[in-house]
Amino acid sequence: MQQNKTVTKTGKRRRLGIRGRETLVSYLFMLPALLFFVAFVVGPILSGLYTSFFNYTARHNNFIGLGNYIELFQSEPFLKSLRNTVLLVIGVVPIIVLFSIFVSTIIYQKNPIIRSIFRGIFYLPVVTGTVAIVVVWKWIYDPLNGILNWALQAMGAIDQNIMWLGDKKYALLAIIVVLFTTSVGQPIILYVAALGNVDQSHIEAAQIDGATSWQVFRHIKWPAIMPTTLYVVVITTINSFQCFSLIQLLTGGGPNYNSSTIMYLVYEYAFKQSRFGYANAMGVILAIIIGVFSIIQFKFFGDKVEY
Amino acid sequence: MKKKLALFLAALMAMASLAGCGGTTAPPSSSATATQPSSTAATGDLTAEITWWSFPTFDDKTGTYDQKLIDAFNEKYPNITVKLEMIDFTSGPEKITTAIQGNTAPDVLFDAPGRIVDYGKSGVLANLNDLFTDEMKNDVGNPNIVEACGDGENYWMYPLSVAPFVMAYNKTLLEKEGLLDMLNLEGDRTWTTDEFTALNEALAAKGHTNGLVFCMDQGGDQGTRALIANLYSSSITNDSLTEYTINDANGVKAMQYVMDQVAAGNLGNGASYNGGGAIEQFVAGTVSSALLWSPGLDLNNKEALAANGIEAVAVPLPSDNGKPNATEYLVNGFCVFDNGDADKIAASKLFVEFVCDDAEWGPKNVVATNCFPARQSYGELYPGNENMAFYGSLSQYYGVYYNTIDGFASMRPAWFSNVQAALTGDKTAEQAMNDFVQDANKAIEAA
Repeated sequence: MQQNKTVTKTGKRRRLGIRGRETLVSYLFMLPALLFFVAFVVGPILSGLYTSFFNYTARHNNFIGLGNYIELFQSEPFLKSLRNTVLLVIGVVPIIVLFSIFVSTIIYQKNPIIRSIFRGIFYLPVVTGTVAIVVVWKWIYDPLNGILNWALQAMGAIDQNIMWLGDKKYALLAIIVVLFTTSVGQPIILYVAALGNVDQSHIEAAQIDGATSWQVFRHIKWPAIMPTTLYVVVITTINSFQCFSLIQLLTGGGPNYNSSTIMYLVYEYAFKQSRFGYANAMGVILAIIIGVFSIIQFKFFGDKVEY
Repeated sequence: MKKKLALFLAALMAMASLAGCGGTTAPPSSSATATQPSSTAATGDLTAEITWWSFPTFDDKTGTYDQKLIDAFNEKYPNITVKLEMIDFTSGPEKITTAIQGNTAPDVLFDAPGRIVDYGKSGVLANLNDLFTDEMKNDVGNPNIVEACGDGENYWMYPLSVAPFVMAYNKTLLEKEGLLDMLNLEGDRTWTTDEFTALNEALAAKGHTNGLVFCMDQGGDQGTRALIANLYSSSITNDSLTEYTINDANGVKAMQYVMDQVAAGNLGNGASYNGGGAIEQFVAGTVSSALLWSPGLDLNNKEALAANGIEAVAVPLPSDNGKPNATEYLVNGFCVFDNGDADKIAASKLFVEFVCDDAEWGPKNVVATNCFPARQSYGELYPGNENMAFYGSLSQYYGVYYNTIDGFASMRPAWFSNVQAALTGDKTAEQAMNDFVQDANKAIEAA
């Protein structure tokens, strides 16, 4: 009995040793990526957090505690940008998810050529440079020569040209439209793949039992693509929160900060005004908001996900 | 476990939004005065490699001229290698800011006092006091230009050329509509606010869109500031550059005038255009005038205007008394970054001196910017050129050069956002000007 115990112990030690070595090797494989991650992600995060407590500009670098954060919540540009950021996310993410599922559901069973054509069309804005896209959209929205005003006037929908990017009523909406077109490509690709992986026998069985198309989608396809939905929602939310280049190139945050987002304001304060500490405080707030949104999304969708 | 891992990764991704905001590089301390060139610098046998960042200011805009300039410099100083890098006006300023924070700034920069003096005050430049000899100051003559190159204690920019900012009309269109006689094309071409209004009303009545009051961002914002300052003889700042003053009664009146003219369709609402965009519309012939123009823009857009069948005519900004005393002007010049290498600083100064002061290349370089020489001894560089004679005549109206004021960079967003607010009806003229002055004065204090 005693001997068996020793053998067991020895065997256990040997197994732990192998596991330990495997762990060590795994970490060694991860090490190069980990070094980059620490140097270029974790380091700057900590640095950004640290400097957010400083009046850190081109000329000053003195500790001011929560001074930047207090100023932020008294600043009209920041509060407007905060509101716009949330509106942008709330406005864009559900539409992207619903539209992507809708398109994917229609095209995933088409023949491969048709499917590829649609995937290519929707993915094109993703791989096209942002500047090129913005140039086209600026021309579309141009209040003097833009095709959108021309088309709407030709249809009799408007009498006078609308300043899409310079009118506070339309500026954010105009950005949402562009953000939508540049964001749906990847979710559609993912959903087409996810729907293609749904077990066909389940669908056929349900149909034999008399399930309607909606019931098949609701009870078979939707649960099956839930991991993809979770990924799409989280990634789209984060990308929307970080929307910057579209705003910089289309409206410059205007008019009067009515299309500005926190990410754009970070850029404006850091690189145009050299107020790095203040900009970092905004970055911290943005990170907290994204974190909160992500947790809510995981709570909401996570329970229904089966990996 | 997987859920927790996924949640952790999502949190990290969220935090990664901070990653671009980091950077703990402390503001570099000024070692400009402490840095001394090595002995070789004094002898002129200096061996060094320097980097020159240049905005597209010389006439070909592609850097070809800049490279020729380097080649000429190397004939005189063969041991100094100058590496040229062209930067553009859109992303260039941010690139410089990033480079300064990352300690990768160039050795020489060709820019304007607004940014350069700010860099100087931040302690990242080598001062150029030794280049500002009495001979040089006397040759420049205009004390405003000399003062624009420094902060009162040190000189940070060595000036090459100067030019006024004006506005322009589509002369071809005015001729076609029979309205050309509404412009004063004699002498310094000055005109009044009433005459400006009358011409714009006449053009609008014929269905034309007039000059866009651009304010999408800070691009070309000096144009709208000069417009509002001149319309009723106000001033952006006081003479001693201690506070902004454009919220006086005349400044508010001018802002109200602009709002009314935009509402009436006599000026274009430019809330979705910056200066560059508004100028593009003028060059394309979409609008009848541009509220920002300069000799450099004249030169840059010559071919495009000709291709579009447009002849542009430059005029000063209007003012109530016909004297545009708040005319803004551009000063082109060079600064030298203090990258901690005395030889590089010495070599950079030799390069700057060559570009600005060389008997052959100095005047040639001024002409390549299509501006006027900072040095009077260069004489008349555009003999017989009526247009350049007009630009030159405006030097008497140069206003206070406030681009070197503390907090200048933070003032600019305050300007365009308040003009936007006024044009979109968010604020009254008085609120917009008061809010601008309040924010801009705060920027002076915070600097």
